[in-house]
Amino acid sequence: MDKLKTIGWILLIASFASIVYALIFNPASWIVYAISLVSIPLFILSLGIVTMAKGSKDEEEEKRREPFIGY
Amino acid sequence: MDITILGSQIIGIIPLGDIVFYFTQFNLFMFATALAFTAIIAISKTETQVEAEFGKLGDRAVTVAKKEFKIRRFLAIICGLATAGAMITGDLFDFTLFVCLTGIVNIGIVGAVRQVDVLDAAYQYGLIAMMASLPLFGGAALILAATGTISLLAINTLAYTTPMMILGSILLFIGVAGETGVAPFFATKAEMFRTPGSPFLLIIHLSSLLILVRLIEILLIINKPF
Amino acid sequence: MNLMTNILLNVIIAFLIGSLLFGLQRKIMARIQGRPGPPIIQHLLHTLKFFIKESAFPYTAAMPFYIAITAMLSMIWVAAVIVGPVTGGSLLLIFGIYAVHKIVEHNAGSSSGSPYGKLSCVRAVYSAAAEVPLFAVLVIIYFKTGTMNITSLINYQAVHGPLLYAIPLAALMFFILILSKAPYSPFAITKGKDIVSGYETEHFGLLRGYLMMSESIAWYMLLWVFLTVFLGPISIPVYLIGMVVMSSIIAFINATTPLLNPNHSIMMQVTFAFVGIVGSFALLMI
Repeated sequence: MDKLKTIGWILLIASFASIVYALIFNPASWIVYAISLVSIPLFILSLGIVTMAKGSKDEEEEKRREPFIGY
Repeated sequence: MDITILGSQIIGIIPLGDIVFYFTQFNLFMFATALAFTAIIAISKTETQVEAEFGKLGDRAVTVAKKEFKIRRFLAIICGLATAGAMITGDLFDFTLFVCLTGIVNIGIVGAVRQVDVLDAAYQYGLIAMMASLPLFGGAALILAATGTISLLAINTLAYTTPMMILGSILLFIGVAGETGVAPFFATKAEMFRTPGSPFLLIIHLSSLLILVRLIEILLIINKPF
Repeated sequence: MNLMTNILLNVIIAFLIGSLLFGLQRKIMARIQGRPGPPIIQHLLHTLKFFIKESAFPYTAAMPFYIAITAMLSMIWVAAVIVGPVTGGSLLLIFGIYAVHKIVEHNAGSSSGSPYGKLSCVRAVYSAAAEVPLFAVLVIIYFKTGTMNITSLINYQAVHGPLLYAIPLAALMFFILILSKAPYSPFAITKGKDIVSGYETEHFGLLRGYLMMSESIAWYMLLWVFLTVFLGPISIPVYLIGMVVMSSIIAFINATTPLLNPNHSIMMQVTFAFVGIVGSFALLMI
């Protein structure tokens, strides 16, 4: 999960920065379209990855893959 | 660029000698989507399908073996690139070539699996794809004969549609319907999708749908409203 | 107004109104079934709740494809918002976006390796037959008005009156298409409860919330395209009333019809398409 969190933070900062850039500097339309198409979904996705809840440590054992032991 | 195709402006043209690629809002979006999906397929692993076993309480895992994975990934990337090319080509014959290549590669992507019913479905789809190459190229040839050009940009400027162009369009439509496996041929294609290898199945489905959407644009360019 | 602000505002409005319309649908369906039903903001609350829940990614899933496919769904419906309310672009793009939505349904199902997802994946291929009415609608609109551009269609209708009266069968086919995208509809075979949740089954937590967000935007956009293409230049209150009316009609249909068998669902949609196409061309010729 650590690799995921790192990628999440990088994507969050990159997409947020590009959206703010498009908001403030008002570049040519095609750049704004490209930025919005790529950055808005990635922003929402990375926001979710970063704010995802994490289970508590003592429940970690129970969540690992277990063999099916019958009824 | 002052040319309008179906109401939207042409954004740009890439002239590679005889073959011309043109970009409108629509083509560019389709092209970018095809390339984006191809890029995702190139870096993805495949899934493990989980099925129940009969007579026991366990699970059976169906995976894609390493060699099978490599060849299928290669074919999937070729399919994605062919689809991307078909999206922006301004040349009718070029389009039919890309469609034919997509049909062949679609069979190849599924041809490497080891499930008999999937291979049966792929075989039937392959037969139809081969038969459909006749109306596909025949339709393009008829349109060339009726209009004197295979360039879509030139056909766009023609004033009216002759009956021969309509016949060519119908044949072209039948050809693409057979090659890409849309209704009523899609039933066998659906059976092909029951095999593992989700990224590769994506490109089969994506190529069919994107080529169909592009075909509608081409048919509307050739057949003017009355 | 800044272009980026325009896009962001439209995306947020699409998401909020789409979620509220889904909630309204559930409320109406519940009342028809004689129970009070959840509050109208329930769908919005569910989306946000799922978004912050702890997510697990299946051990058997095809990574990073399994996550990327949800991002692609969001990307295409943001593109639809750009093509529709922001720039008034080509209708063919909306068709392309609808086609790619089918692809995402197909592959979100198969990317996890779960048997329910696999069933939904194959059903999504069948349900691509619902594209036939959309293709016919586009062709009929092009033959009637000579253009596929949304802005030109609005101008055409300002002069000639709403297309709803000129090509009513095309409007009916588009309505059937919107119906097939609604939850609990008779044609919603990819999300039917007989396969748990279809292609969404193995996308938990964050990814489920993300899929629900994209679907809300999709619902708003489908209704927006219908109202714009068939009613023409209308003001914002009329848009809202139109969307509420359409969602209510769809909720009535959903509450009173069962989920059809996949083959029957496709047969019905293709039959409607056939009647619509033949009828529209006959009307155009006369």
